[in-house]
Amino acid sequence: MVMINVQDLVKRYGDLVALDHFNLQVPEGEIVGLLGPNGSGKTTSINCILALLKYDKGTVEVFGKPMTPDAYDSKRNIGIVMQNVAVFNELRVDENIDYFCGLYVKDPATRRRLVQEAIDFVGLGEFRKCYPKKLSGGLLRRLNIACGIAHKPKLLIFDEPTVGVDPQSRNNILEGIRELNRQGATVVYTSHYMEEVEQLCTRIVIMDKGKTLADGTAEELKAMIDRGETITIEMYALDPVDLERIPQLPHVVRAHYSESDGRLLVSYDNGEHNLLNLLDYLKSRNTSFNRVFTAQPTLNDVFLEMTGRELRD
Amino acid sequence: MFMHVFSYRLKCLIRDKELVFWTLLFPIVLATFFYFAFGHLTTELEGFEPIKAAVVDNEAYRRNTQFRQVLESLSEEGKNQLLDLTLADEDEAGRLLEEGSVAGIITVGDEIGLTVKQSGLNQSILKSILEEYVHTVNTVSSIISKNPGAVWQLIGDIQDRKTYTQQISFSDAVPDTMLGHFYALIAMACLYSAFWGLRNTIDVQADQSPQGARRSVAPTHKLYVVLSDSLAAFAISFLEVLVLIAYLAFVLGISFGSQIGYVLLTCVAGCVAGVSFGNFIGTFIRTSESVKTGILIGSSMLMSFLAGLMWVDMKEVVARNAPVLAYINPAALISDAFYSLYVFDTHRRFFINIGMLFLISAVMCGISFVHLRRERYASL
Repeated sequence: MVMINVQDLVKRYGDLVALDHFNLQVPEGEIVGLLGPNGSGKTTSINCILALLKYDKGTVEVFGKPMTPDAYDSKRNIGIVMQNVAVFNELRVDENIDYFCGLYVKDPATRRRLVQEAIDFVGLGEFRKCYPKKLSGGLLRRLNIACGIAHKPKLLIFDEPTVGVDPQSRNNILEGIRELNRQGATVVYTSHYMEEVEQLCTRIVIMDKGKTLADGTAEELKAMIDRGETITIEMYALDPVDLERIPQLPHVVRAHYSESDGRLLVSYDNGEHNLLNLLDYLKSRNTSFNRVFTAQPTLNDVFLEMTGRELRD
Repeated sequence: MFMHVFSYRLKCLIRDKELVFWTLLFPIVLATFFYFAFGHLTTELEGFEPIKAAVVDNEAYRRNTQFRQVLESLSEEGKNQLLDLTLADEDEAGRLLEEGSVAGIITVGDEIGLTVKQSGLNQSILKSILEEYVHTVNTVSSIISKNPGAVWQLIGDIQDRKTYTQQISFSDAVPDTMLGHFYALIAMACLYSAFWGLRNTIDVQADQSPQGARRSVAPTHKLYVVLSDSLAAFAISFLEVLVLIAYLAFVLGISFGSQIGYVLLTCVAGCVAGVSFGNFIGTFIRTSESVKTGILIGSSMLMSFLAGLMWVDMKEVVARNAPVLAYINPAALISDAFYSLYVFDTHRRFFINIGMLFLISAVMCGISFVHLRRERYASL
């Protein structure tokens, strides 16, 4: 079943086109990541999907039905974790979760159980009687998540939930999302952190300027670009003849030596045994070297290849 | 669901310490300030003390029998005693004035003169007495010089003075100008309910706060949420106004008459108008929360000023020069409702005020809901 189906969505703010014929399909059970730099249209698309924002053109369906502000049956099965922490400072941790859960679940006994499960899930047990102002940034984000997931929705939308969070809390959050997915929730996750998206998502949609640039698994996306691994070798000097010959080795796209930091960078267009071939060549030329590093292409490389810009530009 | 949203809204609002300060403690502090600043005015008038004055005991004074009799009559002990005179020579009188033992020195010479060291209520009364005496003597002298035969009739008329104005009381209440300040203060406290209304609208609109966005994506009808929130805001503000009235009545001893049911009805109407006004500002004006708060404070203070909070006569100035303003200003309507309850035995004017308050509230609520029911936003 397709949980979210967005077709040809256009959203304009005056002359600015925030979403430009944007398309998105989210199949049941997946963790779909929307990856793009700030201002690429990730949050705007989420707000349109949630029927919060007016849009100029296109259709949005959730659970196979048109998504409208009064689509209460659909809304009952959606959980949202906003980019900005959306809790009430005057309510304690457990009260905040109970309040937002109560907008979805009427039965008090069921709600008590769900609130307890949400508190346990995000690990806020010892802080349940604390007010949000007493919580650290990471704990506050966890409360924000608990408020969005307590009613056990089938579809969960996380809009940059880890902005400003320390690495440990970030890992906890990502592990929690994986667990929710294992329990059956379909997840849409927006971020401009490519590592997070790559680590978490089963499918990734790369966005820029309101458009879908690419859609697939991390491997599929990397395979779309003409770039394989990059090998970096530290060496004191390199004969100019070698710099001319290395590009002639199999699969080498480019070779560059930087005298200032004494590094040779060799880029490949995929292929196998690239490191072995390069080291064999250097030995055959009696070229001495120090440390060797290899790096696989990243989603940033994919974005760079497609747009000519870095993800975090 | 309604009770769930209502009870949590109540908790949210009542724990907002900043708003509780402005809507409850601030009016109480202001009431205390008013009491100490203006409270002595009534007591001064009620506990009137005869004015101490010195009369220079010279030959001219002793010769002026009429004037001497007038002063002696005004100094006779009893509840109508106006003056407390000391006969002294010029030096002694000067010393008494210098040390503040008397308010003024009356000197009889070719003319009757008054010497004072400072201006004030007592000095003004002394001046009025002397002016009245001189005026009467001049009038009598003038009439006698033209018509000597009228002397006996004139003496009779002076002894039997008539006043052609009559005081009529609309109720049994004792008029008290200080009450005007407290009525306007209660009106201001009712209008401060607008802060709760404003906070509610911020928390319910997706383009105003993340909490509003989260509530907007929940499967709850907006009208439900708005009604629960508004009821919670009304409950808190009504309770606060009751606390203020209790403080005024039982701690400061301000009398609100015996019509407690009508007093409560006025508070209900005032708080409804206040919450509606906050809803109106929160939805109709599209700007940041801080600007909205500024507009709210400014407009409620202006309305309270026009209702006579800072200057009691302002209410009359508005009623005379811009009567429409008095009918659309919730603060003026609340304060006038209290005033009419206290002063008049009939309730016609009171119910006109209450009716206008509910009408204005209905208009503001209607406009607010048209904006609040908006289901999708142009931008967030």
